[in-house]
Amino acid sequence: MAPHELVRVENVTKDFRPGFGLRTKRVLDGISLSVQDGEIFGFVGPNGAGKTTTLKILLGLIRPTSGSAAILGHDVRETAFRKEIGFLPENPYFHEFLTGREFLRFYARLASVRRASREGRIDELLGWVGLSHAGGVRLRNYSKGMLQRLGIAQALVHDPKVVFLDEPMSGLDPIGRKDIRDLILRLREEGKTVFMNTHILHDVEMVCDRVAIIVEGRIRWTGRIEEFLADGAEPQSEVVLARLSPEVADLIEGRFGAVLRGHGDQVEVRVPHKQVEGVLGAALGANAEVISVTPIRASLETIFLSTVHQGSKDPGGKEQ
Amino acid sequence: MGFLTRIFAVAGNTVREAVRNRVLYTLVAFALILICSSILLSNLSYVEQGRILQDLAFASARLFGVMIAIAVGINLIYKEVERRTIYTVLAKPISRPEFLVGKYLGLVATIWMQVVVMAVAFAAVSLIDERPFDWSHVAAFGLLAMELALVVAVATFFSAFTTPMLAAMFTTGIWLAGNLTRDLMELARQTDVAYIVGAARALHQVLPDIAVFNLSLKASHGLAIDPGPEVLAPLAYGAAYVVAILLLASLIFQRRDFR
Repeated sequence: MAPHELVRVENVTKDFRPGFGLRTKRVLDGISLSVQDGEIFGFVGPNGAGKTTTLKILLGLIRPTSGSAAILGHDVRETAFRKEIGFLPENPYFHEFLTGREFLRFYARLASVRRASREGRIDELLGWVGLSHAGGVRLRNYSKGMLQRLGIAQALVHDPKVVFLDEPMSGLDPIGRKDIRDLILRLREEGKTVFMNTHILHDVEMVCDRVAIIVEGRIRWTGRIEEFLADGAEPQSEVVLARLSPEVADLIEGRFGAVLRGHGDQVEVRVPHKQVEGVLGAALGANAEVISVTPIRASLETIFLSTVHQGSKDPGGKEQ
Repeated sequence: MGFLTRIFAVAGNTVREAVRNRVLYTLVAFALILICSSILLSNLSYVEQGRILQDLAFASARLFGVMIAIAVGINLIYKEVERRTIYTVLAKPISRPEFLVGKYLGLVATIWMQVVVMAVAFAAVSLIDERPFDWSHVAAFGLLAMELALVVAVATFFSAFTTPMLAAMFTTGIWLAGNLTRDLMELARQTDVAYIVGAARALHQVLPDIAVFNLSLKASHGLAIDPGPEVLAPLAYGAAYVVAILLLASLIFQRRDFR
């Protein structure tokens, strides 16, 4: 394991037996990835791609059929190193008969947090996730957003180095999502490493440093988020013009490879970013009016969808 | 001693869940009603009213004790997996055997508290009806407590890898068969067929010999009880059986995938 590499998955394959028969289904097919110290790593893929299975292998809840996984240099089948990791499952359901404080106390004891510092840590975390007022309330009376925030407190109760979050924003309203997003960004400020499973691409763009895309049990792409965006289609810009004569429109379309769309007396011209200057020159030279020039950023969603589509068509795809 | 902290944390949580679960109170209330109603039922008899009272009261305590042990034991692990609460627990530095033993101890502690409540009700009913209540009755309840600990262990074993319905069927079957293996051995001996005798002996050795835990008849009849072979030996046997079955459950639980 490299010195700054905290999580390493090497050539992991997992086969499940869907029923009682001998037939097996391959859920993970030789995946490899690594997560570096201090980064927020997004593990992105459609439902059923194998994200949660990978996470469960890392947490020792499932054994891989072949390959190996290690966290902080320890084989994930060991137990003691888990004092360095925290975990929030998808749609968490906790022991609802407990109050928030009892719940955190239980997990603190499991993680061998010293009795002397336990209550102080619980107070600190309840404040940190904005639940100081709800410490004495039973979990059955918590809202989904409150449970999610308490789940994050639970994952952090023993001050771990690496935090694993499975779909932390799913099913939350916009305010709940923002709360969780802010908490994740605060984790980065505190120097934690975060491994996050998600399919909400907007959140990936907002918080992740690096992503890996998994489709049908195989990793299709790994890298920094800006590389991912740059790796997609060529950046485009949208130029809106008025008073454009049909001849000049044909010229722009033919010479600059632009796509034109008319809106009343205005024309929207979509061109590769580097052609904007030429288009403006041609338009102004023909006395057209320039209304606006807007760079169009390739959205993660567009590129993600094309990667997933490409991946399911071509197993060799852009795999790494 | 970190492992003890973790085991007791899980056990304490299990007790807390049981204490806050109203279904259990209902079952215990039913047991208490039956124990108390044995005063009325025994009065219907003209002979041996004292023995009938204690037989009925003890049978009620045993029946409800076993029902509670099976009902709660079969869900012990299954519910944690089904509700996915086990994911966050096992993501902490606790081994699967520690978790299993903690859950088991928590449930046994809960059931023993109920045995104490039922024993107190039994003593009260006996005293009200001016029947004897001495150490032999205490020993009978002590052995009932061990019998229930064994039933919980069997239920935990099945709960570690199968559904509650199957676990309930298997545990009930083993408890019933465990009550009958001695009689089966006796019947087999009378056939004089070697393989039938061998099969009956094998069953007797593999299945828990539940009959050794039943001292109630002797206690209600006021017969002398020899503490060594009739109390201490069954307690040691029960404890050894529980350890063996929990080890087996841990081995299976250790290999399980939580999909």
